[in-house]
Amino acid sequence: MATLQVDPIPRALYSLGLLIRELEIPLTNPIQTIKDLTQSALGNINAAASLADLEKVRVAVLGRKGELAGISKTFGAMAPEDRAKAGQLLNEAKATLEKSFEDRKASLEGSESDQRFKAEWIDLTVPPQGIAPGHIHPVTQVQDEIEQLFISMGFRVLDGPEVETDYYNFDALNIPSDHPARDMQDTFWMTDGHLLRTHTSPVQVRALQKYGAPMRMIAPGRVFRNEEVDASHEHTFYQVEGMMVDRDVSVSHLIYFMQTLLSSVFGRKVTVRLRPGYFPFVEPGFELDIQCLICGGNGCAVCKQSGWVELLPCGLVHPNVIANCGLDPQEWNGFAFGLGLTRLAMMRYAIDDIRLLQSGDLRFLNQF
Amino acid sequence: MKFSYTWLRELVPGLKMDVTTLAQQITMKTAECEGVHDPGAFPGASVAAVAHAENSDPDSIIEIDNKSLTNRPDLWGHLGMAREVAAIAGLSVADPVGDLYPFTPKAGANGAPLPRATSKGDLSITIGDASLCARFSGQRVENVKVAPSPLWMQYRLNSLGVNPINNLVDVTNYVLCELGQPMHAYDADLLGDTIVVRAARKGEPILALNGEKYSLGPEDIVIADAEKPVGIAGIIGGNDTAIRATTRRIVLEAASFPAANVRKSSSRLKLRTDASMRFEKGQDPENTVRALARAVELLKQISPGSQAAQPIDVYARKSAPPKIQLDIDWAERKLGRKLSTEEVINIFRSLVFGVEQLNGRKLLLTVPSWRATKDISIPEDLVEEIGRMVGYASIVPQAPAVLAAPTARNLEHEQHRAVRDALTGQGFTEVSNYSFISDADAAMFGYAPEKLLQVANPIIAEQKYMRPTLLPGIRRNLADNSRFFSDFRLFEIGREYCKGKDGAPVERTHLAAAIYGRETNGANLLEMKRVAQYLALDCKVVPAKAHGKTMHPERSAHVEIAGQQVGNLYELHPSLLDRGRAAILQLDLDALQALPAQRQAYRPLRRFPSSSFDLSIVAGSHELVGNLETRLRQLAGEGLIGLQFLLIFPLPPDKKSVSFRLTLGADDRTMTADEVTHTRERVVEGIKSAGYELRE
Ligand SMILES: [Zn+2]
Repeated sequence: MATLQVDPIPRALYSLGLLIRELEIPLTNPIQTIKDLTQSALGNINAAASLADLEKVRVAVLGRKGELAGISKTFGAMAPEDRAKAGQLLNEAKATLEKSFEDRKASLEGSESDQRFKAEWIDLTVPPQGIAPGHIHPVTQVQDEIEQLFISMGFRVLDGPEVETDYYNFDALNIPSDHPARDMQDTFWMTDGHLLRTHTSPVQVRALQKYGAPMRMIAPGRVFRNEEVDASHEHTFYQVEGMMVDRDVSVSHLIYFMQTLLSSVFGRKVTVRLRPGYFPFVEPGFELDIQCLICGGNGCAVCKQSGWVELLPCGLVHPNVIANCGLDPQEWNGFAFGLGLTRLAMMRYAIDDIRLLQSGDLRFLNQF
Repeated sequence: MKFSYTWLRELVPGLKMDVTTLAQQITMKTAECEGVHDPGAFPGASVAAVAHAENSDPDSIIEIDNKSLTNRPDLWGHLGMAREVAAIAGLSVADPVGDLYPFTPKAGANGAPLPRATSKGDLSITIGDASLCARFSGQRVENVKVAPSPLWMQYRLNSLGVNPINNLVDVTNYVLCELGQPMHAYDADLLGDTIVVRAARKGEPILALNGEKYSLGPEDIVIADAEKPVGIAGIIGGNDTAIRATTRRIVLEAASFPAANVRKSSSRLKLRTDASMRFEKGQDPENTVRALARAVELLKQISPGSQAAQPIDVYARKSAPPKIQLDIDWAERKLGRKLSTEEVINIFRSLVFGVEQLNGRKLLLTVPSWRATKDISIPEDLVEEIGRMVGYASIVPQAPAVLAAPTARNLEHEQHRAVRDALTGQGFTEVSNYSFISDADAAMFGYAPEKLLQVANPIIAEQKYMRPTLLPGIRRNLADNSRFFSDFRLFEIGREYCKGKDGAPVERTHLAAAIYGRETNGANLLEMKRVAQYLALDCKVVPAKAHGKTMHPERSAHVEIAGQQVGNLYELHPSLLDRGRAAILQLDLDALQALPAQRQAYRPLRRFPSSSFDLSIVAGSHELVGNLETRLRQLAGEGLIGLQFLLIFPLPPDKKSVSFRLTLGADDRTMTADEVTHTRERVVEGIKSAGYELRE
């Protein structure tokens, strides 16, 4: 569809012509002069290339000593009725020219500021100056995300000491000194008899002792195992312990929370399964597997063709632990789980050498 | 732990499940299966020959993760796993001991006192202390002949990773693999007539079967003859009484030793054996006489003509089988799943529990002896039995009904997050360093080792102490990264550890941030001051004496808030870096967190105009700008509403000019020109009389 081009000058001419026809008066000299003058003035306005030229035209035609003013002086010789008509015509012409002048002025002003803006052009592909933002450690990022997630589900985030007592790290968690489970954990001992916590589970006990039940909490943090470091083993890593203690907490609640939270962590629906697992601080205890996110459960190299990936240990809190926290296991029970933050970060970013995380190497850390 | 599929099928007649399905079922209901594979190469015979000897298809080996068997001493033998498989498949176990020995011996039942020593014929067995050995069963077998075992037995042991030795030793190992009961065979002529179970004497030596000499102590339990140890209880036999080619008569041992003692001795002697691994899980004492009966039975087959004497059984400490009451409604609440009474009863029957229905939904369950040593003792343990047998997949996930209440905030984590966000916004990247430092680190940063928390069992020297400061790690990061970058910023938020007043460990969370520049004129230090004030708006940087080894002696300050020191701002001592310089900011985040919130009331907007004038003061080049500010404030008095530092202009050799803009005003009126002039004159006069010049 064609667009109607509306140009101020032809429109002005048209209205002037219409005006003249409507007047139905003989074209006496002043009237013809007005008409001629108007037409030539319109041409000049249109032809003005700059605001300065345009102003010259305005002064010459519309100015106090301009041509229109000069014509009006000739009206004295006319008959009164002609004079009135010519006066009216003159006023109309003046209005038409003023309008045309203003339009042209606006147009010229527009193109002049365009010129000025053009001169101010900036290349926005030039890299900015100043300090580029730094980067948050990938494990911190994962930890932050997990914390926000659990906070949104009504869990509080708690901390505990990294230099622990063997009571909180083992005994209170139903791991007595002669228990084989202590063999599973190679522990850093301090010369004063303290130890470096081997898990964040001691915070469970400290939390219940301090705040009582009901309790929904997570305890993220640094833990230690006394082992040699290589690409897949670290003596320092991060995990998050979680616990819910209330009345009649069941395995079905545990599965609900794990499924919901893990779906949120991985950003898609996650299928979980529980199978028997042994951890002294829970009974029953489980290994929780998630259906392989790579192959969707059909079997691949990541899941060793099983369709499932072992993700975290969990279970119902052992009544001895509840009792060690000063609560009545007849009244209170709950579930607990432990999630490896370091492992989660490694899974998320496909990091194949655990040592990079504690290396402080900015070539690595600046990627996150 | 390896299990033979063929053997399991022998023990569970009628088992149709293929090995893959079986392995998967075991994983879901009992213990984690790590894989299924063919038996390893068998030296001395082809697989076909063995299969022929076995009269069966070649075997498959199911590999179970030992860790998932920690709490299941009964699963350290094929019969135990066969019981699980039978329960899973709804079949029954064919007990290889069968009627050879009664399930529970009569002796000692009904509370009769238990014998500590028994002798039959010319062999006597004595348990000195019942806490050292719950039961010792021995049996002499005459007229044996040492020879290789039949092929089928060798093959079976080899498939399970046990080296065949000779028929007599192999029988004990076979029974171990089958019933889970560790056994030992002594040369009866070398052993003599006396067996005593006792604590070892201090320094008592023994030459073990593995050829190693061990020096024992009172914490170790030994099996001894009349004079000396002939075996370390539950771990390994002695060499002097071992079976040899000439052996004609043997004594078989099947005993029960306390798990904790065996575990401690085994770990102290650094000697883990098939026997110790089982004993430290807690073996079923009921099994000893069954193992003897089974071994004697096998010896009849593979050493024809052997003659067994009567077993001698000393049962020093016997526990009644535990009975646990189970409320099925309670178990339903624990699992979050409906359970029918019949379903639950069937599960416990299939697992060979004694089941007595008390009333409707309450059961009294008798735990089988092989599950009673460590595994099952409380009702929660029974919930696990039900759960795994009905299958956890049959439980529908359900959100709990809980009280809705605001979650208590963790203000420390919120603070750490705010600091991290602020610093990354200012170009700093977060690092994470170990909590450990070395002797060299401690020396470099001037810490006396005795003041530090020390690791008793470090693997390497770098793990010797707990870091009292984040700096050693940060310094290492600076040195490492300076090889790749000429300018960078990094920080760590982490714990510092020290001994408290009472010697107990104290942990505080600190921030250490660094700006590194390969070429630097000290501008980074002022940039770091800006960062400090960006983090803590109201902090003051107060020049302070440098901590000798760490800080540049002329470039260090305290960071203070409300008069309290919360950190340090300084240039790292140049000697600590091979090249480049680093501005360091350290803040005690816990101290910052503990400060009361600074909340000031709003001040009304100024209604009357103010007037300003500039002053340039010429001072010594070491004069503190902060001191000049203080002086100007004092001189200008109440009317001063703004003091703005403008610039410093060096006037070599030893002076500088410092320019300020002073703004004067009053809350209730416009200051008159006279007042302004008067104040200006007072300030100028005061500055001059303090010995400074003014530049116009
Ligand atoms: Zn997969």
